[in-house]
Amino acid sequence: MAKRIQSLTTLTPTATADTTNLVDATYHGVIQGGSGTQRINIIEVYQGGQAGASSPTIMLLSRDSTVAVTVSNGAGLMDAALDAATAALAAAPVTGNTTTTKPQRSSTLHLLNLSFNAFGGIVRWVAAPGEEPSLVGNTASLGEISLSAFTGGTPGLMGSHIVYEPL
Amino acid sequence: MKAKRSNEGYLFLDHRDSPGLPDALTHATGPELPLGIGRGLFEAPTITCSHCQAIVIVNPLRNRDRGYCSKCDHYVCDTCNAIRIANGGACKTFNQIIAEVQEAAAQSESIKEL
Repeated sequence: MAKRIQSLTTLTPTATADTTNLVDATYHGVIQGGSGTQRINIIEVYQGGQAGASSPTIMLLSRDSTVAVTVSNGAGLMDAALDAATAALAAAPVTGNTTTTKPQRSSTLHLLNLSFNAFGGIVRWVAAPGEEPSLVGNTASLGEISLSAFTGGTPGLMGSHIVYEPL
Repeated sequence: MKAKRSNEGYLFLDHRDSPGLPDALTHATGPELPLGIGRGLFEAPTITCSHCQAIVIVNPLRNRDRGYCSKCDHYVCDTCNAIRIANGGACKTFNQIIAEVQEAAAQSESIKEL
């Protein structure tokens, strides 16, 4: 279909425990299926540190055990097609980091730990073609993925993006 | 025949211009990984578990065999490998789970239309 990118200009994430509400605009964001059957593949995750002092930051790409409702983008977060010729999807994926019902990270379905030091650190993960982790539908626990900070460390200012592809 | 290495993703962790991560933190978040990965440049292949889609950072110093499911011809994470062995080698890939979720959602929508 069409690859898209959810990018965050700059934000200091708040360390949040599993199965706890992710407060608006304190995490990178969620990606949720645009319909009950939509499948989305996660292709790449990048994080670049912007902090001015040492900031060990524990970032988790994880499925959510409570999915967000009424999702919109907070400051600095945007979602765009990678290809300029991409046509609008019939069921657009739901993305953002500001919600009414807050998402909660699953305590058992973490997908990838991307810890880094936000003072000058860079972390990038890319999936092999055909081996991308995916989400399906828009209900817990397989219908939403989030990138957020876990408890511990001292999260620092960072920018990040997730490349994904709705199928 | 497709090589297993063609299924590997790539992790790039660059702390060359950063104080990096203390070993205590990297060990707490990834106990299977070698010490020192939080300093300097660490690059490693990753494996996506065929059964749960957890992404495993390949420890270059590991000596034990990795979990492998011959039925889906993929590496699996240690947790899923233990389950697989306990269940006599049963294989249920995440793609099968996705197909079931999509089928159930499609059936549910069909019932609503009726």
